[in-house]
Amino acid sequence: MRNSIYTLIAILLCSLSVQAQDSDYTELWNRANNHYSLGEYQQALSDYKEIEEGGMVSYKLYYNIANTYYKLKEDGLSILYYERALKLNPSDKDTKNNLEIARLKTLDKIEVIPDFILTVWIGKLKNSLSCNAWAKVSIGLLVAVAFFLLLYRHAAGIVLRKSSFVLGCIMLFFAICALIFSFNLRGKAVNEDYAIVMVPVCNVKSAPNVTGNNLFILHEGTKIEVLEQIETWSRVELSDGRQGWAQSSDFEII
Amino acid sequence: MIRLSALVFLALSTITAYAQNFTVDAPNVVEKDEIFRIVYTADAEVEEFTAPELSGLELLAGPMPSRMSSTNIVNGVRTDVFEINYTIMVRARQTGVATVSPASVKIDGKQYTSKALSIEVVAGNSSGSSSGNGNGAQESNAPENGEVSSEDIFLKLSFSKTKVVRGEPIVATLKLYTRVPIAGFEDVKFPVFNGFWSQELETPQNINFVRENYNNQVYSSAVLRRYILLPQQTGDLTVDPSYMVCQIQIRTSGGGLSMFDSFFDTYQTVRKRLSTPSATIKVNPLPSGAPASFGGGVGDFTMEVNLSADSIRAHEAASLTVEINGSGNINLIETPFVELPQDFEKYDVKTDNSFSNGTSGLSGKKVFEFPFIPRSEGLFVIPPVKYSYYSIRQGRYITLESDTLKLKVLPNSNASSSAQVVSGVNKQSVVNLGSDIRYIFTSSADLARKGRFLIASWYFAAAVILIALLFLVADKVLKEREKLRGDVRRTRNRRANKVARNRLKLAQSYLAKGLQAPFYEELHKALLGYVSDKLSIQFAEMQRDAIIELLESRGIQAQERDELISLIDECEMARYSQQQSDGAMDGQYKRAIDIISTLENKL
Repeated sequence: MRNSIYTLIAILLCSLSVQAQDSDYTELWNRANNHYSLGEYQQALSDYKEIEEGGMVSYKLYYNIANTYYKLKEDGLSILYYERALKLNPSDKDTKNNLEIARLKTLDKIEVIPDFILTVWIGKLKNSLSCNAWAKVSIGLLVAVAFFLLLYRHAAGIVLRKSSFVLGCIMLFFAICALIFSFNLRGKAVNEDYAIVMVPVCNVKSAPNVTGNNLFILHEGTKIEVLEQIETWSRVELSDGRQGWAQSSDFEII
Repeated sequence: MIRLSALVFLALSTITAYAQNFTVDAPNVVEKDEIFRIVYTADAEVEEFTAPELSGLELLAGPMPSRMSSTNIVNGVRTDVFEINYTIMVRARQTGVATVSPASVKIDGKQYTSKALSIEVVAGNSSGSSSGNGNGAQESNAPENGEVSSEDIFLKLSFSKTKVVRGEPIVATLKLYTRVPIAGFEDVKFPVFNGFWSQELETPQNINFVRENYNNQVYSSAVLRRYILLPQQTGDLTVDPSYMVCQIQIRTSGGGLSMFDSFFDTYQTVRKRLSTPSATIKVNPLPSGAPASFGGGVGDFTMEVNLSADSIRAHEAASLTVEINGSGNINLIETPFVELPQDFEKYDVKTDNSFSNGTSGLSGKKVFEFPFIPRSEGLFVIPPVKYSYYSIRQGRYITLESDTLKLKVLPNSNASSSAQVVSGVNKQSVVNLGSDIRYIFTSSADLARKGRFLIASWYFAAAVILIALLFLVADKVLKEREKLRGDVRRTRNRRANKVARNRLKLAQSYLAKGLQAPFYEELHKALLGYVSDKLSIQFAEMQRDAIIELLESRGIQAQERDELISLIDECEMARYSQQQSDGAMDGQYKRAIDIISTLENKL
């Protein structure tokens, strides 16, 4: 029993250290950063891309790729990668700031329907930590819950027992919240519902064929939600609620 | 003016002198029995003249040659003009068409041929005394004694069509027909065309009379005005009459019967008011079912659509031109609808006209230019331009359609940022333009395999399970401990041996060092403590009798009881009396171990 617990802890620790072990990628990363600082954006981009093609990601990598695209004046791609960075870490201030600047260069201004204020607050709280951070917080809170539960069950004094029960319940509530946030963020990071328009002009039609009426026109860098797909056409929705059909090749999933 | 025309005449004659023309001049309409002339003219000395063959005409005289030559010296330039005329006097014998075969001349050994003539012969009512001179000028058969009938002189407004559809061009001609000499005009009021778009096609400065057959009468006719009319309304449109006053010369006989009177006629000018009858033109509406792209055109048109360039850079100006060619109401056609991509900045359409007034209506071309500036790059497809018109000949709408046009807009390398600012202006106030994006992350990349999340990993599940297990284990341990604490006597019982042994160990160490007082103290405490723990009695109640009683009740032999008591007594004695008994310590220690071991097995 004891031994198996020790093994589990050992495995956990190992897995955490494994992530930072790949020296190849670190080297690429440093080289790319160097290129960027010297203004050699094309080389920097190819190095960053090599890391990405190796299957390794992080919001920092996406952020740096986006910055490089921005410097190369590829506004659509730069917005795409800022969005990808935000998907992994919705709270990063630098990414938000740069995305805002990149968006200034796009043509479309779409009114966003404002959310209910409580939803906004919860969203802010949720986005204040990353998915993994919430997972860690939830583990910590679960430990606390276990501690207070033990205290409740075995403490001598009646006051101590009562207060530990209350604290345990609060901790359990927070732990469940943290778990929900973490799952929610993971779901958002995994889902492929949003896309960025990649072509200078994207005709959105009323039907998934060429003869459909042109409903509106989107420009490079606009964020859209992909609702469904029929062959090469996708039903898209703007943040202001308008819908239409666009060629799937015109945009890139975040 | 005169001088100019003289110069022109001179110039022409110089040309003809070298060109060696051979022309013929004859009236195209004659009355029956009228005597008239056919004049052949050559501009060089003729070696041989071959007279034409006449059919339906009677040769009265000729050919009679006549020569004319002149020499002009203008500004030291000498010009010679030479002309030779052959005149044939003929008379038409019967109504119908008389033909004159080509005549030919030989000049400098070369043969020149005139064109054949066909002369219309009408019945007429003249006495045959007139002699048309071929130029169609006013004839001298002025009416006698003042009376000028409306058959002698009249105005006529004729239309090319009287039943048209809206927008179909009509040519209206205002003509003056006369058989009497005219001295002049007054108070001319030209027609007004209400409900029509009208334009004058011909407004002759000099009125040229030509001989013309009208109702089998030979008249001198002259075109006063020619109009092109485009009906703008439907229904029966009435053209108001037009008026003019003509001054007509009439011959008055002297009244006397003398020979001289008949020779020397006197002429008198009379005024006659002429007017056209009012005319009605029936204008039908265009048939229903006009295509959406119908632009009001009626006639025959062709269309050409062009882009100023196939490929341009963003933010550069370009244009699309639609050129409509043809005849009909081309000046009134509307601008065709051109669907330029929404992303283009469009400007006002520029229209360029170039029409010519033909006898059958307007023809020419109208060019519509659609200027635009593409604001973003890419390949743009401009859908076909459609333009419909109503074809009078086919009686239906015809739709012209251009090809699909493709325009490639290349990125503008130099002015991208400034242009972007321009397009951003109508979006929101431009902020942050001076600032740049924040710098990249240079710290460790924190790379992870794509799509891997702690929350969804086995590690997380393992951690949760681990917490649960630890909780269960801790819970169990605590529970156990609580149970133990709940049975204090048992605990003390269990711990008694261990406590005693520790004390004995301490005592042994004192024994080895030869320290008597601490040895006995420890030994005493070990024995008393053990008994106290095992029997669950307090130190205060440790009376000898009570101990013996309890031990007895637990089934301890009297011998062992005595041994314990005596050992305790010895320790007490040694502790409090400070009695020296060196050799006994070792034995007492062994006895204490023995008695505790014995009791441990029994209690």
